[in-house]
Amino acid sequence: MIETYAIRRPEAQESPIARQIREDLGIDVARCLECGKCTGGCSYAAGFDYTPRKIIQLVKLGEFDKLLSLDALWTCLSCQLCVDRCPSGINIPRIMDYLRARAHRANSNITHKNIEKFYEIMLSDIKNRGRISETIMMIKYNLAIKNLFANASFGKKLFLKGKLKFFSPRTHNIKTIQPLFRRLSEKDGQA
Amino acid sequence: MNVAFYPGCSHHGLAQEYDHTSRLICSHLAVNLTEVEDWNCCGATAAHSLDHDLSLALNVRNLAQVKRGGHDSVVTPCSGCFSRLKTAAHEIRHDPDRLAEISRKLECPLPENVEVRHLLQLIVEEYSLDRIRALVKKPLCGLKAAAYYGCLLTRPAAVTRFDDPEQPRSMDNLLQALGAEPVTWSYKAECCGGGFNASEPVIALELGQAILDSAKNAGAEAIIAACPLCQMNLDGRQGEMTPPFGGKYDIPVVYFTQLMGLAFGYAWRELRFKKLIVNPRKLLEKYCLL
Repeated sequence: MIETYAIRRPEAQESPIARQIREDLGIDVARCLECGKCTGGCSYAAGFDYTPRKIIQLVKLGEFDKLLSLDALWTCLSCQLCVDRCPSGINIPRIMDYLRARAHRANSNITHKNIEKFYEIMLSDIKNRGRISETIMMIKYNLAIKNLFANASFGKKLFLKGKLKFFSPRTHNIKTIQPLFRRLSEKDGQA
Repeated sequence: MNVAFYPGCSHHGLAQEYDHTSRLICSHLAVNLTEVEDWNCCGATAAHSLDHDLSLALNVRNLAQVKRGGHDSVVTPCSGCFSRLKTAAHEIRHDPDRLAEISRKLECPLPENVEVRHLLQLIVEEYSLDRIRALVKKPLCGLKAAAYYGCLLTRPAAVTRFDDPEQPRSMDNLLQALGAEPVTWSYKAECCGGGFNASEPVIALELGQAILDSAKNAGAEAIIAACPLCQMNLDGRQGEMTPPFGGKYDIPVVYFTQLMGLAFGYAWRELRFKKLIVNPRKLLEKYCLL
C-alpha cells in the first residue's frame, strides 16, 4: 500500500458520507484517481448495477440513499482484488462492508434479501453454537426462503459422499461468544 | 516444530478429506499440530459483511485461545479462515485501541503478535523444495495440474504478505517438486464465487465455470485447491455447469495435501480421494499413481 497523504480541499466539497467514511474508517475517497483499475479487475463487475469506480463516485457525490440500496453491496464477493490494484490504496471492500452494514441496520431497500438472510442465519448459528453446522444452516436457509428444494441436487451429492453431518461439535464456552453479539444489538438500537 | 492448528468449521463436514490429509502431511513433515482449544467460527463471510467489529471480535477470541494454549503461531488450511484471522491480527497491530476495547469485553489477555499462516504458506516457508523432493517416493510424473490459489490466499497483499497476489508461484513450485507439471493459466488467483455457493448459486456457477474453462484450455487434467469453499464449488457444482461447446465437465479438483500424500507414498484409501465428487481414479491410474 502506498503512503497516505493529505489532500487540501475546501470542507464544503466533501459529502457527508465521504466524511463519515474518512472519520470512521480512515479512508479518504478524495484520493481516488478514477483510473478504473478496480472495475477492470473486479470479479463480478459485469453483474453489478454500479461498478466499484462508480460507487466511489457516488460516495463523493453524497448519494447516500442510492448507496444503501445498491445491488452491488450484496453481490460483491469481497475477493479483495480492487484494493490490491488501487494505485491510491483505497480499501473498497472495507467501504462495501461499511455500507452493507448500514443498509442492513437501516433495513433499507435491499435487493438481495436472500443473501442478507443467509448471513443472518449464519450469525445466529455462531451466536448459539460458536461454530456453524453447514447442514443445519442449509435447512434453515431453505425454510427461510420458502424453497425446500433449493440446492437439492447439490445437497444430494454431498449427502451421498457422507459430507452432510447433522451433529457437529460446538464451542463449549459459549458464554464468551455471546457478549460479542450484544454489541451488535446495541448498535441496532442506535440506528 | 510446534504450531497451533485452526481447522475451521468445514473440517467436520464438507472438507473431511482436507482436514484428514492436512494432519497427515503435517505429521509426515514432523510439524506438531495442536488444535486451538475451544475455537469458534471465524465468521467468514457473514460477520464482516454485516458487522466489521463482530468479525474482529470473533477472531480476537480465536487468537487469544492460541496464546492461551502457549503458542505464538497458528496455521489453518482454509483460505477464508486464514483471511479473517490474519485481518484481525493485522488490525490489532494497527489499531490497538480497538483491540483493548474488545479484549476487555472478552475478558481475555491481548493476543499480540500471533503469527497467522495458511498451511500452504507454512509448508513452502519452512521446507525447501529440495527437502520436499527428497521425501517424494512416487513422483507425479506427467500429471498436468492447474494450481488454483483463489482470492483470499494472497489478497490483500498488505495483509496476507504471502506470495505474489497477481501471479502466485508457491503452489506451482511445490507441484513441480512433487514431479507434476503445473500448467500456465490466467485464472489461478481469480475468485470462484464459492462464498455464494448456497445463497446465490448463479454467481458461483458463472465464476466457477470461467475457472474450469481456463484450466481446461491450458491443458490441465486436474485443478489443485487450497481452500474448502473453492474445492466444494469447483468440484461439487461441476455437474450443474454446461461447457460452451456441449458435453460435460469432468475435471477432478483435489486438495494439494492429497497430492502431496500421493507423492509421499500414501495409499488411495488413506488420502480419502473417494470423498471427492469428481472421481480422480481414472486420471491417477493413467499415470500409474495408484
